[in-house]
Amino acid sequence: MTKERLSTIVEIESVSKRYGAIDALRNVSLRIPSGVTGLLGPNGSGKSTLIKSLLGLLRVQSGQGRVLDYRWPLDARLIRDHIGYLPEDDCYVAGLLGIESVTLMARLSGLSGREGLRRSHEMMDYCGFGEERYREVESYSTGMRQKLKFAQALVHDPPLLILDEPTTGLDPDQRLAMLHRIRHLATEHGKSVILSTHILPDVQTVCDHVVILVDGTVRVTDTLESLSRPIEPTMHLKTVGDPSELIRLIQEAGHVVRHDAETNALRFEGVDPEHAGVLWQMAASSNTAIRSFEPAVNSLEQIFMDVAAGKTLAPPSIAQGDSRADS
Amino acid sequence: MATLLRPWVVARSGISLVLRRRWLRTMLMLAWLPIVFPAFGLFAFEYSSTEPDLQRVIVRMAAGPLNQPELASQIIDDHDAARHQVWSTLILAFFRYPQLFAMVILIGLIAPMLISYDLRTKAYLMYFSRPLSPSQYILGKSAVIWFLLSMIATLPAFLLYLLGVLLSPDFSVVTQTWDIPLRILAASAVLMIPTTSLAVAYSSLTVESRYATFAWFTTWAMGFVAYQVLTSASAVMASGSMRPPRGRRGWENINFDFDRWRLLSPYHTLGKVQSWVFGLDTSAASVFPAMLVLVAVTAISFWVVRRRIIARLSV
Repeated sequence: MTKERLSTIVEIESVSKRYGAIDALRNVSLRIPSGVTGLLGPNGSGKSTLIKSLLGLLRVQSGQGRVLDYRWPLDARLIRDHIGYLPEDDCYVAGLLGIESVTLMARLSGLSGREGLRRSHEMMDYCGFGEERYREVESYSTGMRQKLKFAQALVHDPPLLILDEPTTGLDPDQRLAMLHRIRHLATEHGKSVILSTHILPDVQTVCDHVVILVDGTVRVTDTLESLSRPIEPTMHLKTVGDPSELIRLIQEAGHVVRHDAETNALRFEGVDPEHAGVLWQMAASSNTAIRSFEPAVNSLEQIFMDVAAGKTLAPPSIAQGDSRADS
Repeated sequence: MATLLRPWVVARSGISLVLRRRWLRTMLMLAWLPIVFPAFGLFAFEYSSTEPDLQRVIVRMAAGPLNQPELASQIIDDHDAARHQVWSTLILAFFRYPQLFAMVILIGLIAPMLISYDLRTKAYLMYFSRPLSPSQYILGKSAVIWFLLSMIATLPAFLLYLLGVLLSPDFSVVTQTWDIPLRILAASAVLMIPTTSLAVAYSSLTVESRYATFAWFTTWAMGFVAYQVLTSASAVMASGSMRPPRGRRGWENINFDFDRWRLLSPYHTLGKVQSWVFGLDTSAASVFPAMLVLVAVTAISFWVVRRRIIARLSV
């Protein structure tokens, strides 16, 4: 595998999928780099269809490309062999113990009995299972089943994980632990992760890249860092006391400033962090004490809602033309 | 290698799950009890040349319950020449009566769970997250039933054959009966493949296994009753002009087509093909429609299951 290829885990072109008269995916072209990528979109936007298509579980009407180092959709089974998939649905093999469920997945991935059992225990340890691994899966709570699916997705040590709503049903502690595991797998073990979720703070916590799907088309694909950066460099500032003198000085310098009287926060547009020293000087000149001073970032929630509502984002984050949107 | 391994993994997991049920283990043991009768038949036949009492027993058995008066005469006239047919008849009777009923009950209780449960708990998503094809999945699930059926039908039939060899005067009988193990295998395939396919198809049609169970038993019961009623009615009409004497009717003297309604009944259809497999029904032409029905049931059932699974994955 070349370095170029390793840097892109999914590259698909002109993918269309229809269910009868409904277009689930419309001519989607997409390139997902290695790392952790958040797959976002409103309900019915085509996220699950895209995931199942990538796994080769659905036949698409058109489209081709590459997933990992394999031709897609021709080598769908080979692709599945190298992907750990955590489905959104609550799914389990009735009657099996927790450890048996994970071992079954290991065996289906071609591991020998002994190696499969060893890896299963290792993954259940990693996911925080204790003696409950010897209980029947039906008796597990929703959170435990979620962790079990995670262990099953990991047991064959795949280079790519596709996680569909992995934190659903987890309590706050477990959710943080799950996000920590996802980040740990990406940073320490070099796994690539596609994380489909509705929980935007989860994306902000663990993702490097974001893909937003709306109505079966890719609307946004970019790094989280780039998306979070405002179009025009902007700084947020909070002061102690009346900031009116500082505002006057900044306006005289030709910058746009907005004042939120309720929080006493100021938003300066057209000032990037490298030139923040000017603001410090102005604050000193106007005898204004500064409580906090930081670069402004776009809220992912706002971006998501804007994109879902069909508003246009500035380039390069907006998808161009036939919904192709490479970062 | 992996292509063979994955159905095996699915089957092994399924077998270990069903064998955890105590009632099933008990049933498997009880299903062996009927082996006593054909075993006694083999014993009686092998010792009939030296024990006149046993010869009377086996001759009565052939003429009576086995309904083969010609075979009874042959046992008396040429004991060695009758061996192949006696063994085949006894093993077929074992397949045809106790084990076929045991098979219907066993499949009816186990098969509906196999795919229904996976549909209910969405376990198919776990299976197909691995490089497993729908056909491999169906093969693995079917193999669970095949294993259980081979435990109650094929294995005891092989043991009967072995018993026959051990009870015979010398091992040269193997040259005379070498084809019987192959016929046992073929009869097992006839018994297992269409029935398992049908049961698995019923199982794939619903997430409620009890409906699949009901459909399974209904198919057998209705088919059996329909065949018996229609055949009896036709036979009565055919014999109307013969004015038989009082008492039992001589059905064998009536010129009547017993195969006419056979395809309505899975039990009788299977019996027809199994008889042919053991060389006891030599009318190949009349076997052909039964074979065609079994092949069609297998193919359609497989298609239904595969389609149901693919449809589920598309949701």
